[in-house]
Amino acid sequence: MAEKRKYARKYCKYCEAKVEFMDYKETKMLKHSLSERYKIMPRRLTGNCKRHQEMVELTIKRARAAALIPYVVNTKQVVATPFDLLNQ
Amino acid sequence: MRHYELLTVLKPTLTEEETKAKVNFIREVLEKNGANIAAFQEMGTRRLAYPIEKLERGYYSVFYFTAPTTAILEVERLIRITEEFIRFMSVKYENQKEMAYWNRQVEKFAPKVEEEVKVEETLNEESPKEATTEDLVSQEAVSVEDKVEVETKTTQE
Repeated sequence: MAEKRKYARKYCKYCEAKVEFMDYKETKMLKHSLSERYKIMPRRLTGNCKRHQEMVELTIKRARAAALIPYVVNTKQVVATPFDLLNQ
Repeated sequence: MRHYELLTVLKPTLTEEETKAKVNFIREVLEKNGANIAAFQEMGTRRLAYPIEKLERGYYSVFYFTAPTTAILEVERLIRITEEFIRFMSVKYENQKEMAYWNRQVEKFAPKVEEEVKVEETLNEESPKEATTEDLVSQEAVSVEDKVEVETKTTQE
């Protein structure tokens, strides 16, 4: 039983925005590539191109080290709106 | 000389003077080691994503500068020693795209000293020459408008 594609075709949101360099201090840009638990989403789910995925990986790791983004969100810390931190 | 960015996180428990002193301390160390500080960005106190040393908040500040490689080693060594710094992050900007971003950030946060000085000078020249009250009032109004214009210009930039 082959299912029909339900969703719109995936595309790289960073290519659309013509991002040349990602700053780890601007955490809003990383939102597309983070799961609710702040894991880095794989390319097959987000549709990022390889070039931008590599940039995203680096910037997310930098932002984590600078305490702008959490490394893990465990069951104790889970909040109602997980992306509140990004909108500071 | 390479282009760098240095982000530091200070403890929120310090007083304003102490934080200023620590920021100036970094500035001095950088300049002593042959760095040219192009811009300084103050991000202020903000919530940390996870507690560090049982602290929930931190004071963020960012330096953009060009420096020889030895300066970075020295600054990082001193930051590691100093207890008031919770975190630091130094980033090197190398290829063309990164450099372009560095220049943009510098333009954004570079100290706007020149424009302010110019405004003050013009005010000082104009006001004492004609001292009648009406003129003063009109000049004040004009100067206020000027200031507004300058501000809008800076924001547009």
